[in-house]
Amino acid sequence: MPAERAPGRRLTKVAVLAKREYLARVKTKGFWIGILVLPLLMALLFVGPALMISQARTSLDVVLVDGTGRLGEGVRERLSEAGDGSGPEAELDVSVVAPEPDVEAHRAELDRRLVAEEIDAWAWLDPARLDDDDEVEYHARSVSNTIAQRRIERAISAELREVRLTDAGYDPEEVGRLTRDVELRTLKVSAEGARAERGEAGFMLAYGIFFLLYIVLLIWGQQVLQGVLEEKSSRVVEVVISAARPFDLMLGKLLGIGGAAFTQFAVWIACLVGLTAPGLAASIAAMPEGLDLPRITVLQAVYITVFFVLGFFVYSSMYAAVGSAFNSLQEAQNLSSIPTFSIIAPMFFLFPVINDPGSTLAVVTSLVPLLSPILMPLRIAVEVPPAWQIWLAILLTAGFVWCMVWLCARIYRVGILMYGKKPTVRELVRWIRYA
Amino acid sequence: MSPPSLQLVGLRKAFGDFVAVDDLSLEVPAGTIFGLLGPNGAGKSTTIRMIMDIIAPDRGEVRLAGRPRTREDLERIGYLPEERGLYRKMTVLDHLAFLGELHGLAHGDAKERGGRWLERMGIADRAERKVEELSKGLAQKVQIAGTLLHEPEVVILDEPFSGLDPINQSLFKDLLAEYKSDGRTILFSTHVMEQAEKLCDHICLISRGRAILVGELAAIKRQQGGNAYRLRAEGDLGRAREVPGVADAVVGDAGGTARLFLAPEADPARVLAGLVGFLAVRDFHSEEPDLEAIFVKAVGDAG
Repeated sequence: MPAERAPGRRLTKVAVLAKREYLARVKTKGFWIGILVLPLLMALLFVGPALMISQARTSLDVVLVDGTGRLGEGVRERLSEAGDGSGPEAELDVSVVAPEPDVEAHRAELDRRLVAEEIDAWAWLDPARLDDDDEVEYHARSVSNTIAQRRIERAISAELREVRLTDAGYDPEEVGRLTRDVELRTLKVSAEGARAERGEAGFMLAYGIFFLLYIVLLIWGQQVLQGVLEEKSSRVVEVVISAARPFDLMLGKLLGIGGAAFTQFAVWIACLVGLTAPGLAASIAAMPEGLDLPRITVLQAVYITVFFVLGFFVYSSMYAAVGSAFNSLQEAQNLSSIPTFSIIAPMFFLFPVINDPGSTLAVVTSLVPLLSPILMPLRIAVEVPPAWQIWLAILLTAGFVWCMVWLCARIYRVGILMYGKKPTVRELVRWIRYA
Repeated sequence: MSPPSLQLVGLRKAFGDFVAVDDLSLEVPAGTIFGLLGPNGAGKSTTIRMIMDIIAPDRGEVRLAGRPRTREDLERIGYLPEERGLYRKMTVLDHLAFLGELHGLAHGDAKERGGRWLERMGIADRAERKVEELSKGLAQKVQIAGTLLHEPEVVILDEPFSGLDPINQSLFKDLLAEYKSDGRTILFSTHVMEQAEKLCDHICLISRGRAILVGELAAIKRQQGGNAYRLRAEGDLGRAREVPGVADAVVGDAGGTARLFLAPEADPARVLAGLVGFLAVRDFHSEEPDLEAIFVKAVGDAG
């Protein structure tokens, strides 16, 4: 084979091929349906449950029978201020009553009102049972509303504690100061300085990248597989291959299909941002003081984007490899689980890497091309690794994609003329060496 | 324009134990039509695929204009493979533009030429149709246009007439004649000898991967037809057998004509002199056998 003298012309050819692949997809109805379907699905998935939860947030009418004569009002106050309105907690409408002389008749009356759905629950603060058994009797039609029950339990306990301590001669304010709870505030330390951060942010990010890559590849991996088969099934392959090298064809295909995938993805992101930006801004503004959002620097965002793009090409090149060895989709179907598995593989290392992002295992796995598109962004989010490791991972991953394209081209070139014959693994190895 | 010549030098390709093409050498002179002839499975397509760098030869070389053929040279070649095919989902004009661009044309230029070709073939109204919506005959036209769109200096056609309907066949023949008069170099393969006979300047007969006859068609016919003569005369033509040097004579049914087969060492002039002795000879000429006959004989001789 004579040496290539005009790399510019090859580049033009890759561009021509990529453009065809891109337009062939973007011009179809399915592409735009796909663009619309996912946001709709997401909306149903997220907005639907949220709507249902908000509708389930009714108020509960609770009758508190105060046999002590001292606790009732305090408990009612505690319960009325407890709900901050952010969670799916029911509002508790508490009314305090004194026990009637005929206790049994009173209890029966309350149960009757419960069954008649005039009230939702009642509780009896009986001084004797409080002192002897630490118990409060609670009746409700449904006893599965554990959130409300826990709140009532905590409110009564707190009020009781305060009353008892006051009785014992302690100053209530002093008591409150001495018995307050602590909260764990996690601090992430990096070269740029310490910054408060929620512990799960890194995990959420890695999981988010995995999820997005998985979705994008679920849709586009098959497209790559089919795309590689297209010339063979339509028999246009000889004309294309005589004008462009198989390597250029494979590269053009990956770039063109990838371009279409990223176009779709960009539209989704734009939709998502456009739809949620007002709400997001409002909820950030409404957030309590001191709660930090996970923050990433611009550089980190760029790195993460680079790995996302590389991740797409790494895994889709696996699909291309499967496609290059076969002549029809049915033949290729058997092996198409290999690329799918290769996307899931990094997930096995997620927790070891989160727990110790600087460990040898984390460093090594985040450099392995099939793992690094997910593990390296995870490390970047949790604890910024040395720059050389990031760049080495980028280089290795890009190199891996390059090798895969080369391999695909090699298999492809031999495979095109073997119409209607399914290759064995041994033949594949021979094809790679030969040609 | 001076088109390049095409040379194959000692090409060999084996698939496992099966030798598809064995030590094949030939030259397609610039500006001529060359026929690569042979029965199915003789190695024609393998040879053409090696010319187009779809298959790498085990040995040997493809040369264009005296230099080894490079990948870039392939842009100057128009190739019609035996396995026809187009992207089914593309529109006709987009497809032609794509093929043009793939062969080095700028997008605008390729599209414009595509439009002109469609007009020329009378299917300009289908420009925005998808390929899959076309009838087979129309798809063939698009394929032919795609092969010639970038005005290649060399045209390589693998069984160009097979599968073409009669209208496209004659269209294609006209195109080839036009291309030849433009001075372009054309090589095509066929197993139908009559087509080659009408179109080719040079031929190569290939059987089981080996070239068994290569050269100018007229010369081959002369050479192969050296022993058959057509005689028209008055008299007893059957007596021609008695003339020294005549191996056999077959008298035509109507009488008045006969085919004479001369012995290999016979001198036609002496035979004629002998014939004149008892016949009133009106016509005596060497008869060219048709390519089919030459081919059958050559394959038989090659064993």
